[in-house]
Amino acid sequence: MLKRRLLDYGLAGILLAIPAALFQANLKEPANLNGFDEAVLRLSSPLQAAASWVTEGLGGLWSRYVWLVDVEEENEELRGVNRALRDELAETKRRAADTALLEDLVELRRQTPADAIGARVVAADTNPHYRITRIRLDRGEGEVEVGMPVINHHGLIGRIGKVYGEYADVLLLSDPSSSIDVFVQRTGSHGALRGLGRDDSYACEIEMLERGGDEVKVGDVVVTSGLGEFPPGLAVGRITEVKTKDYGLFQEVEVEPVADLSDLRVVIVLLAPPPRPDPDAGKRQPSARAFGMTPY
Amino acid sequence: MRIAAQVLLAYVLILLCGCLWHYLPLDRAVPDVVALSAIYLGLTARQRLAPATLGAVIIGYLGDLLLGTPRGMQAMVAGVLSILGHVIHRRLLLRGRVVTMLLAAFTGLVAGVLGTLVRLYAGHLPDGGDLIGTMLRAALVTGLAGPIVFRSCRAMDARFARTHREREAAREGLTL
Repeated sequence: MLKRRLLDYGLAGILLAIPAALFQANLKEPANLNGFDEAVLRLSSPLQAAASWVTEGLGGLWSRYVWLVDVEEENEELRGVNRALRDELAETKRRAADTALLEDLVELRRQTPADAIGARVVAADTNPHYRITRIRLDRGEGEVEVGMPVINHHGLIGRIGKVYGEYADVLLLSDPSSSIDVFVQRTGSHGALRGLGRDDSYACEIEMLERGGDEVKVGDVVVTSGLGEFPPGLAVGRITEVKTKDYGLFQEVEVEPVADLSDLRVVIVLLAPPPRPDPDAGKRQPSARAFGMTPY
Repeated sequence: MRIAAQVLLAYVLILLCGCLWHYLPLDRAVPDVVALSAIYLGLTARQRLAPATLGAVIIGYLGDLLLGTPRGMQAMVAGVLSILGHVIHRRLLLRGRVVTMLLAAFTGLVAGVLGTLVRLYAGHLPDGGDLIGTMLRAALVTGLAGPIVFRSCRAMDARFARTHREREAAREGLTL
């Protein structure tokens, strides 16, 4: 019995020596795999892959649909981050809009040859019956006077109606109290443009438009005549409707302003009329003498 | 046949452990399934130790291959654990969940110490790190996993029991 037990323990000891030898060999050459190792690993790898696939699927199911302890807190945190990002985005958009506004103003000022100042539209009257008939500028005191023309890069907008402090109101050309002397660029027909004051458009009309040789047509451009406070040649609008009668010296037309009066952001106030065009421009001038001496 | 079945069961448990340990909340504290299987073989070795030690060594070697430890390291530890289990099996009544967990935790601790000694011999010990803390955590997790592993092993033993008494003993958790 004792002999058998000793044999048993001896065998166990020998069995222990085998992994010890393997371990010693592995320390010398860790990358060296024998056939048995390769077979086990080849067999086990797909099994492990399948088990991992199932485990990950179950883990995903658990974490997405069951274990949602931290989700509430995470949601709150994400909402906070979202709010902050929205605020940041709004601020960035506001700055971008300001920048675009300034770019428009600079471009408009560059294109205007007359002595003028740029101004930003800071408010508009929002009376539901009259829509926007006046706008408020952020410049005025000491620089702007009543009656000065106001334009943007499309054309005429109106004139300064009131000045108070640093601000000024603009009487839009679509206001019923506005009257501007104009002519039709193609035919030369002359008339007075008045605002219709409609609540659904910024339309104006020319009541007593002279009938010349050519009849005016829809689409004809109307410009300022130069009579009154407006310099000549400023684009005012396009004819949208012609109400011609068979008799009489005058005709009536409806005009749509070329400037979009519903979306005014920056404007130019003309402080003085543009310089007159140089009549000698384009003519060849004789060269001045270099040293003031008459040649022999 | 019984030993082969236990080796196969241990192989499956090692595979599952390798896949599942990522999801355990205790970081790197992984239950030592190899140690549990090895000591179970030692505890239930009856009169013959060598077949149990052989099974334990094979289980340990499979653990080395699948879990990435140097080949032979876990095999040695598993072999020693099977002998240890055989030595203490006459003095131990493995019955009840608490006792099972305590034995499993002790097994995990011994396996950790033996593994540390082997790594010390091989010069694989890191300079820093909480070695004892890691060992204790691994022992704790092994203790928690012990009832599951032992129950699986017993169920396998019950299927391969030759007599009704052996089958009942395996189900009851009595070492023979």
